[in-house]
Amino acid sequence: MARPELSPSLPEKEGVAASALYYLRLYYLLLRAQARSQAVYRVSFALDALGSAFITLAEFAAFVLVLPRFGSLSGWTLGEVSLLYGLAELAFVLMDLAFGGFDAPNLSQHVRSGSFNTFLLRPAPLRLQIFGSDFALRRVTRVVLAAGILAYGVMASGVIWTPEAALLLAGSVLGMVAFFGGLSVIGGTLTFWTVESVEAMNVLTYGGRTLISYPMDIYGQFLRKTFTYLIPAAFLSYFPVLHVLGRPLPDGLPMLAAYLSPLVGPLMLAAAFAFWRVGVRHYGGTGT
Amino acid sequence: MQVALKSPSRPNLPLYASVARLGFRRQFAYPQAALWGLITNLFFGVLRIAVLVALFGSTPQVAGYTVQDAITYTGLTQAFIMALSLFGWTDFMRTIHRGEVAPDLLRPHNLLAFWAAQDAGRAVGQFVLRGLPMLALFASIWGATFPAGLNGWLLTVLSLLLAWACGFAFRFLVNCAAFWSPDAVGIGRFAWAVLGLGSGFLMPLAFFPQWFQGVLAFTPFPSMMNTTVEIWLGVRTGPEAWVGLAVQLGWALLLLGVAAFVLSRGLRRLEVAGG
Repeated sequence: MARPELSPSLPEKEGVAASALYYLRLYYLLLRAQARSQAVYRVSFALDALGSAFITLAEFAAFVLVLPRFGSLSGWTLGEVSLLYGLAELAFVLMDLAFGGFDAPNLSQHVRSGSFNTFLLRPAPLRLQIFGSDFALRRVTRVVLAAGILAYGVMASGVIWTPEAALLLAGSVLGMVAFFGGLSVIGGTLTFWTVESVEAMNVLTYGGRTLISYPMDIYGQFLRKTFTYLIPAAFLSYFPVLHVLGRPLPDGLPMLAAYLSPLVGPLMLAAAFAFWRVGVRHYGGTGT
Repeated sequence: MQVALKSPSRPNLPLYASVARLGFRRQFAYPQAALWGLITNLFFGVLRIAVLVALFGSTPQVAGYTVQDAITYTGLTQAFIMALSLFGWTDFMRTIHRGEVAPDLLRPHNLLAFWAAQDAGRAVGQFVLRGLPMLALFASIWGATFPAGLNGWLLTVLSLLLAWACGFAFRFLVNCAAFWSPDAVGIGRFAWAVLGLGSGFLMPLAFFPQWFQGVLAFTPFPSMMNTTVEIWLGVRTGPEAWVGLAVQLGWALLLLGVAAFVLSRGLRRLEVAGG
């Protein structure tokens, strides 16, 4: 089937770089449209933005307030835990921003009402449209909060910061965004078949986020091994942070394991998108 | 909006009883969703236990809590999430925003009592559906403890009922924001976050620094769960427990009074577009 003409002409001759730029611009336009519409009601927007950060703030504050009574979290200082907590929250909120369109409640609504058809009919890549379909600007306050917690961790953990360490943590965030994005895509894809098992995904996404917000050795051997070898969550931020802090990795794993986050995450995402293509092929509309 | 109907002089108890019964039964409509919710709560319970146990380390007792108490505390808070609506409740504000409150006002009942009855039924239903299995799981896996003796049970049950009453009145008040603002959901987000911190859901209040506990003591939030947990655990016994109950009762009456007052003010300015 020939592709219909788009007004800003599709770059068919200019090559890969030009078409990437074109799609990037399209994505930007989709996001801008939503950001604008959300900013119309200023009070409402401000309340939502502050409120969504406030929940994380309360949760972290509770931990900060009780820690002095105990001294440390099995040998981890507040600064060190802040590294883990800040990394996990930063990655999770960036993922929420980028992958909001794949979020199961959002996608299942399109699938149930049949409005998913509109995406399929438009002359633009499907995934690009989904990526640009639910951009919640209110989450930027959570980005600021997460960055603040992480910055505190960076300062208070007493680590000597080298470009290598910074790169390691940047890679960790990248890997986590891709990893949790992959989980989100899987959760969204499941809605092509069912709306009920979606809650099971919450255990993995929100549970996974909470899990990696604290040093993983506190969970005991069974859970830690499960989330290292079966579900490779430990590679995302725990191993990189251990390495940055100059601590040995568990199970005698080589230092190389600390660098695997930017590999584990994208692999997860690639697998998720493979599943996504199966789901889209399965989708048959609502018949209306 | 003025309601012309004269309220019956005597409260229609059978009416509220059947409203509560329906609220109870409605909770059992989606057993599969409840099962997944239970699994999620259990998983988070495991993580929260791990954090608390790691905090304790080799310390036998902190602020009157043993490690076992901390585990039981986790089980209790995870069990109460749904029954006490600790993550928030927006049912009433939805009826205001959508205008469904208008037909409710035409019925011959007191709106606050109607919602209280419905929420009581909902709470009991959720306690049976999500709370009891959670407590059973925590008791069988981690040896969560139960109140000591008949006296302990009596105090705990009374305190739990009062915790629900305080919590309901607070949630209802927050929902009343919808009479004045279209952003009541956003306002609610703050309220539920404060509820989580102040009611002792995120951490036992006894672990907080003295100054912060002092601040919280002036608020109704500890009465919405923390007091019940401390009575259950036996951290609070004898006269201290009775004082806790009295404080809970005081807050419940005060909050319900404020809720009734705010509701009447809200109804006065309510406008519902026909259609």
